[in-house]
Amino acid sequence: MKKYTVKRLLTSLFTLLAILLILFILMQLMPGSPFNDEKLNEAQKASLYAKYGLDDPIVIQFFRYVGNMLHGDLGVSYKISKNTPISQMLETRLPVSIFIGGFAVFIGAVLGLILGLIAALKHDTIFDSLATIISVIGVSVPSYVFALMLSYSLGFRMQWFPMLYNAQNSFHSSVLPSISLSMFTMASIARFTRSEMLEVLDSDYMLLAESKGISGASLIFRHALRNALIPIITVLAPLIVDLMTGSLVVEKIFAIPGVGSLLVNAIQSNDYNVVISLSFIYSAMYIGIMLVVDILYGIIDPRIRLAKKGD
Amino acid sequence: MRKTKAAVSLLTVSALVLGLTSFNTTVFAETGTSDLNIMLETPVESLDPQQATDGTSFEVIADYTDGLMQMDADGQAVPAIAESYDLSEDGLTYTLHLRDASWSNGDPVTAADFVYAWQRAVDPEIASEYSYMLSDIGQVVNAAEIIAGEKDKSELGVTAVDDKTLEVQLNVPVSYFLSLMYLPTFYPVNQAFYESVGDTFGTSPETVLSNGAFTLDTYEPAATAFHLTKNEDYWDADRIQLPGLNYQVIQDSQQALMSYQTGALDTTLVNGEQVDQVKDDPEFQTIGAGYLWYVSPNIDAVPELANLNIRLAMTHAINREAITDDVLKDGSIPTYTAVPMQFAAGPDGSDFSEDQTKYSDVCAYDADKAAELWAAGLEELGISELTLDMIVDADDAPQKVAQVLKEQWETTLPGLTVNLTIEPKKQRVQDMQDGNFEAALTRWGPDYADPMTYLGMWITGNSNNYGLWSNADYDAIIAECTTGDLCTNAEGRWARLYDAEKIVMDDAVIFPLYTQANAEMLSSKVTGIEFHPVALNRVYKNAAKTE
Repeated sequence: MKKYTVKRLLTSLFTLLAILLILFILMQLMPGSPFNDEKLNEAQKASLYAKYGLDDPIVIQFFRYVGNMLHGDLGVSYKISKNTPISQMLETRLPVSIFIGGFAVFIGAVLGLILGLIAALKHDTIFDSLATIISVIGVSVPSYVFALMLSYSLGFRMQWFPMLYNAQNSFHSSVLPSISLSMFTMASIARFTRSEMLEVLDSDYMLLAESKGISGASLIFRHALRNALIPIITVLAPLIVDLMTGSLVVEKIFAIPGVGSLLVNAIQSNDYNVVISLSFIYSAMYIGIMLVVDILYGIIDPRIRLAKKGD
Repeated sequence: MRKTKAAVSLLTVSALVLGLTSFNTTVFAETGTSDLNIMLETPVESLDPQQATDGTSFEVIADYTDGLMQMDADGQAVPAIAESYDLSEDGLTYTLHLRDASWSNGDPVTAADFVYAWQRAVDPEIASEYSYMLSDIGQVVNAAEIIAGEKDKSELGVTAVDDKTLEVQLNVPVSYFLSLMYLPTFYPVNQAFYESVGDTFGTSPETVLSNGAFTLDTYEPAATAFHLTKNEDYWDADRIQLPGLNYQVIQDSQQALMSYQTGALDTTLVNGEQVDQVKDDPEFQTIGAGYLWYVSPNIDAVPELANLNIRLAMTHAINREAITDDVLKDGSIPTYTAVPMQFAAGPDGSDFSEDQTKYSDVCAYDADKAAELWAAGLEELGISELTLDMIVDADDAPQKVAQVLKEQWETTLPGLTVNLTIEPKKQRVQDMQDGNFEAALTRWGPDYADPMTYLGMWITGNSNNYGLWSNADYDAIIAECTTGDLCTNAEGRWARLYDAEKIVMDDAVIFPLYTQANAEMLSSKVTGIEFHPVALNRVYKNAAKTE
């Protein structure tokens, strides 16, 4: 297990470095530059390039960037918030995205489990069909459509929730964006829970448990759900990263000062450092979570855990 | 036991879910009692007056900073920190007398603050994008040399004679010099404060100083919401009626309009598609934005476009009314002059481009005339058909306008095929700068309130003269009006600028289309917001809001 973890960590590190290099090359391929504004003449552009070291060969820029990054310096923004260190921008924005994303994961996972359980236990009834319909809608309708619908109905018409994010009232104003973001998670979890539960309920050990006289909630939660959860975690993990890093469009709709909206603005204005830093952080989070999942997998699944012990 | 545990957790979850959906509090009344709630389309790019270049940043910086002069409701320069000024007889030296005003940390605003800021603006290390405001436009002594790295910034032609007297030396008389002073590039910076905060300058309320009508309370880089409160120590505080300004950045236009309709915003922008929905509302209005949209033909690179008849045919074939009335619907005005309307007033106070009929014979919509010129042009070139490529920004409005242009041209001018290349704005600008285009749909916003901000572009070798058109007579007139004899003769200069504009129009150097307007909603409770097409788009000093 230790050897495995170390190997996985090293692979992750190399993957991250490769991602960084690819990002650098992609930035070079992006049309225009942060400074090709109509109002700037050649001399001004040259001095801006010199100021930020963008006139150096890409290899030098790459190693300088990696070097600075190891010291925790992600560089400064060139355009969307001129000369502001990116770490300073992330300090306030990352928590907002993580909060809203975490909230969405929570809502999605809880509702998805409930929906999936109902569908599996009331298999082939009207409840099952209803749950399936809800899941299909949740998977197929993009989150920004939910965002607009919720914003119009609960925000504009009913005025129960604010239509825009408000830092003074962050919980209340996070509800609509979190629900919009949670729909896909909810639907995915519901579908997996249903199919996994059906499979588990059909298995021999469930028959054994039942014949031993275990019944009701204990049978469902302790014996069935626990086993059904294992594959669900692999599905949930990448969803968590997606949500934590914020849906780009949903953040824009609700005017959320998170990292998603920052990335969109940065790409549109060729703000190299911001795009690279954010994409890199996304990748790092993704790889990190996948690593955690692999380790968690061993803990949850007794078959893996016991097998390792036996090694 | 386990059963109850499971039941309890299920109950908690459902309670939570229900709780979430049944929240009911009033969320729209939480802003200050009569703060003005303002919508922004884009976040602030920089609160550093010498680094900022965009309209949003300028507007916010001006909320809490006063320069030497400010704009009155008509866009004329009136005193701000400079109480009065003297201009030398040769028009080359301004002596400005500063009033008693203080920064929000208690320091007095001194002439040295202006000297420090202006030196920053031309400092090659700072690389301010608006440095040309001091050199090419403002003609401050040595500005160009300092920007080019040939002289030290201490040699800039601006000196603090004493704490309250600022002297500015110009290379040539600049008739619109005072109107440049309300541009944030010329705003003061307190050197001691700047040095105490260093690189963090302008990134939080603690790292900016105010000497203006409001002070910044909440702000973070690229904030989506921030707030300013009335500055009780402002030199003109008695005039300020609003207790504060509450800014909200909304990039989704539907959310913005709905927020306005619930009363969470007092003013918001409306896009072309929403106009039909709100145009009968008395709170709907359109405001001139000064931007001229035009087609730039690449006269140098495309031999067919070097033919004058072809160019004249193309501009005569454009039905500009159809574009503004049927496509844009946002109050944009069809334009038949090379200088757009409503931003530059002459010596007698009238709009430079008020008369839109003076070049009718070379650009008015006339399908028959266009077809005739077209036939003549094709014959001169010895061709029967022509395919042109036009580059267009990937934004909504330009794409629609380009589509209509293509239709109008192809219908009126037989044998013409126009292909549209839609690309991100950054790419379009790059292509134009590289000369890599045949025709382009583009726009230009005025930098200062003088026709020269447009006419100066068409001189030989100007970096924005993408079509590489060149005319010695034209260059001579522009030189005469910028650095020559006419600098001190306002009426004479004005007349010569018309001569220059006529050359541009007669030669169809560009095909002007329309002067952009912004469609907005403005609450009837609000009065006194001043809208300007130049430098500061919105000024709130005289605004008031009733409950």
